[in-house]
Amino acid sequence: MSETRFQSLKDLPAAHLLGTGTAMCAGCGALEALHGIYDILGEKTVFINAAGCMTLLSVYPYTPFRGSWLYTAMASAPAGAQGVRDALDILLEKKRIGPEDDLQTVVLTGDGSAYGMGLSATSAAIERGLDFLYICYDNEGYGNTGHQSSGATPHGARTATCKGGHGFGGYKKDLFAIWAAHRPAYVATVVGAEPLDLARKVEKAKAMQGPRLLIALAPCPTGWDYDPRETVKIGKLAVKSGVWPLKEYIGGKTVHTKLPRKRLPVEEYLKTQGRFTHLFEPQRDEQTIQEIQARVDAYWHEFDG
Amino acid sequence: MPKQDIINSMYRVRFHGRGGQGMKTASRVLGKAFFLEGFEVQDAPRYGAERRGAPIFAYVRASRKAINERGIIRRPDLVVVADDSLVDIPAAGVSQGVSTATVVLIYSNHEPGTWKQRCSLPENVVTLPFPEDTQHEHRFISTICAGAAARLSGAISRDCLKEAVQEELADLGEEMVQANLSRALHAYDLMAPYSNLVVAGAGETGETFSKPDWIELPFEPARVSAPSIHAVLTSEKVATGLWRTMRPVIDDSLCQRCGLCNSLCPEGAISLDTAGFPQIDYVHCKGCMICVAECPTHAIHTLPEHETEKGLE
Repeated sequence: MSETRFQSLKDLPAAHLLGTGTAMCAGCGALEALHGIYDILGEKTVFINAAGCMTLLSVYPYTPFRGSWLYTAMASAPAGAQGVRDALDILLEKKRIGPEDDLQTVVLTGDGSAYGMGLSATSAAIERGLDFLYICYDNEGYGNTGHQSSGATPHGARTATCKGGHGFGGYKKDLFAIWAAHRPAYVATVVGAEPLDLARKVEKAKAMQGPRLLIALAPCPTGWDYDPRETVKIGKLAVKSGVWPLKEYIGGKTVHTKLPRKRLPVEEYLKTQGRFTHLFEPQRDEQTIQEIQARVDAYWHEFDG
Repeated sequence: MPKQDIINSMYRVRFHGRGGQGMKTASRVLGKAFFLEGFEVQDAPRYGAERRGAPIFAYVRASRKAINERGIIRRPDLVVVADDSLVDIPAAGVSQGVSTATVVLIYSNHEPGTWKQRCSLPENVVTLPFPEDTQHEHRFISTICAGAAARLSGAISRDCLKEAVQEELADLGEEMVQANLSRALHAYDLMAPYSNLVVAGAGETGETFSKPDWIELPFEPARVSAPSIHAVLTSEKVATGLWRTMRPVIDDSLCQRCGLCNSLCPEGAISLDTAGFPQIDYVHCKGCMICVAECPTHAIHTLPEHETEKGLE
């Protein structure tokens, strides 16, 4: 870690690159993460954005970006990135642009696209060794349309499509493992509430070539049902309870970048959000809470050895 | 009113609120109540980038005959404003299409006269004052507004309102249904002096439909009529500060200049001045209050917008 230029919060850029005035909800955890990422990536980027909350960033004639932005269908952002990368490579080859005008190709999608609809296009792009950065803002549901369940929804959470007494019956897909199994250059998890960890990972990814992928847990006041001021608190609790492990896959190895030394009980995290209220009221659903805790414990047990 | 006219007339109700206050729910409850009274009904929120705190619109049409009108309501018979801070905001369009016949209901502690004077609204302004325990009661704004609107229409009985609330909110569980029901009925009763105040507008047929005001555009090459804009950061033209009902205020004497608020603000609405003190951009701050919650020295506090001098800038 000694090579990082981000040793403390003071080293983070104080002037931000992403413009204000976007249509994201107040307290949006995805926007918070994107802010931090864009600050490090810099202006020489082109964003390829699959349908989702973040497509509302750039609604003609408004944009918060300092460069180009391309809108694709939900399943096709990595394919769009391939086209942009190819076009840039051809321009470079023909000397129509110089190396100083080259751009980073950045895919930006939500979890609905990353964990579900766009997964096969992503798999193929990694397979081809496409030189791109993938940012998934993971708010654990189809947030832009009223928060229906997605492949990223955690067990027990209430969503627009799982309103019953037990919430979502499925389990959050392990996208980190799926991506890492492709052996790309880099995979990492981040959260806006840990800006230093995030900055170091983006710094690392930026300096590499090939497929690089980031999953940003994006606490969502609207979909998760909590006061917008709690976004950072909830992001930190996700890390401290072990629900959201901060880690990276690099050179064939997975390394945790922030170890919660004494993990908080998951219920400390669950209690903060309206989508889990039914686990505590009117009666405590001990079985589901214990099941969620056991899965988190099992994950860490595997790594603790 | 001759019988034929009643049959041909149509109620057009427009709800104005902020994202999160439940205007969609209000329109559903009112629509359901009309339906239970035997009306043909349309109720819908305006689809778009609905966001917490941003101005939200919802519409209800009710008629004894089939409704052929579609889309947003341009000439409302009743305008319901759930959040009085919207009245002064042009983007919220509260007074759009309001005529002397329109009734405007504002959920507000200010007198009707104040609103008429301040915003040149028509004669028929009715206010519904906040209950005493404002903090707690604001959770029920949607059903309060639906209950009041139901009474103002004069077309909905207490029983139908009751059934509508029960049916529409059934998902929330019995306790919440009862809590909402008592607020809706209380608002319904409070509006008794104004029962029947709303006069349903004329129903429109294909023959009587007045076309919108078309703007004739000359045929131009695509690069003129749909210019490609290469400017960057144009989103900064959008004043998202209007979404805010509370504002964070920094006390420099307590600030340690750690810069955490600058790093964590999702909007990027906090900058650092040359001395390292954070400055909040109130034109864009949406009032999420993450800075207030995270400031290690509690140097940032919240202030209701209406208590700030320039609250409406």
